[in-house]
Amino acid sequence: MEGIKDAVRIQHDDFSQDEEIRALKLSSRRMGGIATFLGCARDFSEDREVTQLAFEAYGSMALAEMNRLRDEAITRFGLLDARIVHRIGTIEAGGQIVFIAAGAEHRGPAFDACRWMIDELKQRVPIWKKEVSPQGDSWVTPHP
Amino acid sequence: MISVLLFGPVAERAGAATLQFGHRSGLTLQQLRDELAASHPQAFEIVCFTAVNGEQVRDPQLPLKDGDEVAFMAKFSGG
Repeated sequence: MEGIKDAVRIQHDDFSQDEEIRALKLSSRRMGGIATFLGCARDFSEDREVTQLAFEAYGSMALAEMNRLRDEAITRFGLLDARIVHRIGTIEAGGQIVFIAAGAEHRGPAFDACRWMIDELKQRVPIWKKEVSPQGDSWVTPHP
Repeated sequence: MISVLLFGPVAERAGAATLQFGHRSGLTLQQLRDELAASHPQAFEIVCFTAVNGEQVRDPQLPLKDGDEVAFMAKFSGG
């Protein structure tokens, strides 16, 4: 059996949700609820077709911040375990971008932590997204 | 020497992902930013966050050391 991958990762390759959930479950048999979030590449944004998304990260800082975020979520929501995987590089429309899983004794904290982690990731983790469309490429720059 | 890192939209506007800036005694983060912004105004127009050696910094008066790595970053859009 392949070794367990790190709970927090930034990678070019696609990931398997099943594999991540299996790894999460291995950490505790007391886990009664697992909530997950899967972010996918949409093929449409602000009235135009999008064929690909390209992600770039400040790798070392992004990974450190994602690890901090996971640790905070575990403490704040009393999770048994959590995992965060974010892809970088080019992702075709429809592809998987980010996966977050929160495992807790009960569903309430799992749902809350999962939502909190993706919201915080978007605010705190230095990753940038470019939309590639037939009309040209453009970086997504959210307004404050 | 200060290594300046730019990413994504900031790098595209600046036309470079890294810049080298000569260190001088007493150089602060604000001074570095002001000087780089003067030469790359379009890039610095969208800078929202600054990190020194991988840690976000909010104090513009932070003195910089020779060899520091400084990142000027646009608002994040991951996820």
